Amino acid sequence: MPNHYEVWGVTMLKKNINKASLLTFADKNRIYILFNFVFLFMTLLAPRFFNVFNLTTIMRTLAMNATVAIGFTIILIIGQIDFTIGTVVTLSGIIGLGLKEYIGFGGSVPVAILAGGLIGLINGLLVAKAKIVSFIVTLGMMTILQGAIYTFTGGNTISLSSDDAFAVSDWLSNMIFPLVTPRVLITLVLVTAATIFMKKTRTGRNFYMLGGNKHTAWLAGINTDKYTIAAFILSGVMAAIGGVFFAMESAAATLNMGTSSLMYVISATIIGGTAMSGGKGGVFKTFVAIMMLDVLYNGIILFGLGNEVKIFIAGFILASVVLYEAYAIYKHEKIVGQRPELLKELEKVQ
Amino acid sequence: MKKLVTILFSLLFVLAATGFVFAGGDSEVSESAGAGNLAASLAVDVSVLKAADGQALIKLEGAERVVPARPADPSALPETDPLHWWDMEFAGEITNKTNIPESPADGAIGKKITMIVHGDHPWTTACTNGAQKVADVYSMDIKIQSPNWDLAVQNQMIDQAINERPDMILLIPLDAKTALQQARKINKSGIPLLLFNMLPEAAAMDYAIGWTGPDDFGQMRKLSHIFADALGKKGGVAYVQHAPGGSPYFARCFGPISELAGYAPDIKVLDKQAPGFEADKTMQLVSDWLTRFGDDLTGIFASDDSAQALGIIEALKKVGREDVIVVAAGNSKVGMDLVKDGGLYAITYQTAEGDGALAVKTAADWFNGKEIPAITNIPQHMITKADVDSFYPPQW
Repeated sequence: MPNHYEVWGVTMLKKNINKASLLTFADKNRIYILFNFVFLFMTLLAPRFFNVFNLTTIMRTLAMNATVAIGFTIILIIGQIDFTIGTVVTLSGIIGLGLKEYIGFGGSVPVAILAGGLIGLINGLLVAKAKIVSFIVTLGMMTILQGAIYTFTGGNTISLSSDDAFAVSDWLSNMIFPLVTPRVLITLVLVTAATIFMKKTRTGRNFYMLGGNKHTAWLAGINTDKYTIAAFILSGVMAAIGGVFFAMESAAATLNMGTSSLMYVISATIIGGTAMSGGKGGVFKTFVAIMMLDVLYNGIILFGLGNEVKIFIAGFILASVVLYEAYAIYKHEKIVGQRPELLKELEKVQ
Repeated sequence: MKKLVTILFSLLFVLAATGFVFAGGDSEVSESAGAGNLAASLAVDVSVLKAADGQALIKLEGAERVVPARPADPSALPETDPLHWWDMEFAGEITNKTNIPESPADGAIGKKITMIVHGDHPWTTACTNGAQKVADVYSMDIKIQSPNWDLAVQNQMIDQAINERPDMILLIPLDAKTALQQARKINKSGIPLLLFNMLPEAAAMDYAIGWTGPDDFGQMRKLSHIFADALGKKGGVAYVQHAPGGSPYFARCFGPISELAGYAPDIKVLDKQAPGFEADKTMQLVSDWLTRFGDDLTGIFASDDSAQALGIIEALKKVGREDVIVVAAGNSKVGMDLVKDGGLYAITYQTAEGDGALAVKTAADWFNGKEIPAITNIPQHMITKADVDSFYPPQW
């Protein structure tokens, strides 16, 4: 009888707690514990950390990567990888701003998002139908897109300086209520919707089954190709949404604006507990991991520490999580097939 | 569910309470007001400061430039016409200053400034060293931050700097065009902004008290004259470009191309490529050029005198083409060693320490109530084998 239960992905303890259940609780909720620890630490010690302006800054900073990470988490859950997310961020920003002059934001934003979806569709088809490893497919697609972006822009940043573009930019960055700007709101809505979809719908749970064991998923009647393609489309769409709204707020799209997103999102998704082997993880946990990293980076800046400290700490956390995961798998494999309760009975007899 | 909500709310309450207790009273005000401060600040002499290379840290002689009249529509002119680049080269010369704060004119001593650079690089280290030297003599509290070439992080740093309310923000924009929105935001917060090093697009200058840094186009025009003379004003030239996006991408390629179109029209442009800042990629590019153009390739103009220059020299050595004249922008140890060695014909003297120092000195001048020019350039000089020794030890 397990002595814990789950509410919206958060593991809760039952009343009869013991050491083992406490460890299980800590393990299952490690990203929340880590976030609370970092947040509390910064609140207590970092100068000017805990105020509405700074917390809103954190939310605005994480909005793009948190949106991108929604799709990437689903990709990782199905046991695949998508290296195009950073390039799609850049591409969607460039399309969204580049076409604004001709068809307005009302036309250019959907086109940018569709472009992201189209790239996801191509990736998905190549992975699911042509049976090419996603590592190779998305790496190749990333390179092609980078070349296309440079060709299309001639090496120039795309920027807008008209009054209406600035009005949109200012609106996207203005607080509508504490900590929330319109861009943050879009992210929060998407994270919530994706969390409900993945946890509470059969379609969402099928992604987990696909990542957990593709063969079993197929035997269970799941169209694995369809789900693989859908995951890549979602990844492309989410990356495009993240990129286009970030570019609109900046009123400019640089040629490398998505470059750092790739590594950042991969790190956050793994730190959030999504297994690279697939079948395990969650969008909300990734979101909390991104919040944790951004709070950490924000605090590091407030302490006046350099970028090298930030890289070191982020690397340290990632390495620790990966090591812990490896240890957990080792421990799990060690007891596979064992029946602890029978072993205890045997000890009593002896 | 009830339990979860209770836990979350309890946690939020604890965080809020502790936050307000501990973070509530740390609004810091720089202790700098007063006539005594102004007098002491005006008495500070930065001319005695030296850069690591033994040169004066701040030197304005040789930085003057002539600004031609702006054509009605520069973009309508061909790219080979120097005036095509007017808006980029002379960005900030025509400004419509908006909401610029008035100088408190109460002295620079003790002022808090936040300097946000573009990324981690040996050049940046030298630049911030120079800034620190000037800040030290004015006893200014300078906070230096690097977003490591990430626009989202630079935007976050700007927001955080606004939150911290320093007396001034000094910014190297990551990109000429994104600088406009960044400058608008800082300007709206009421904090004075000084842009430096990377030339932003002209509209961004409206929101800053001024801009300091190298006249990249001007330097490249001068370097191209030395280059053309060494080539006998004829031959075929290829350009190894800077990273796309920033002003150096244009200045270090179209600056010399447009200048040579007038000064040495017989020099042909064979190709221009941006391989990044890795020696092996540049070496590959130059090897390809040597195969493609053969003896027609007589000169290479590089936008970086370290990794790019190393790649070029290596490729030329491999095929025994040391006759190809190579010049490069920059002032690194690698570049100076290559000039000394003869691999590079000339490089530009672009003081990294002086760049950072001039920005902080300009900030101090503003606090002292002095009038700040829209543009202040660091001096220009071309380093060749004849005088390279006088610039040792290198700054970076």
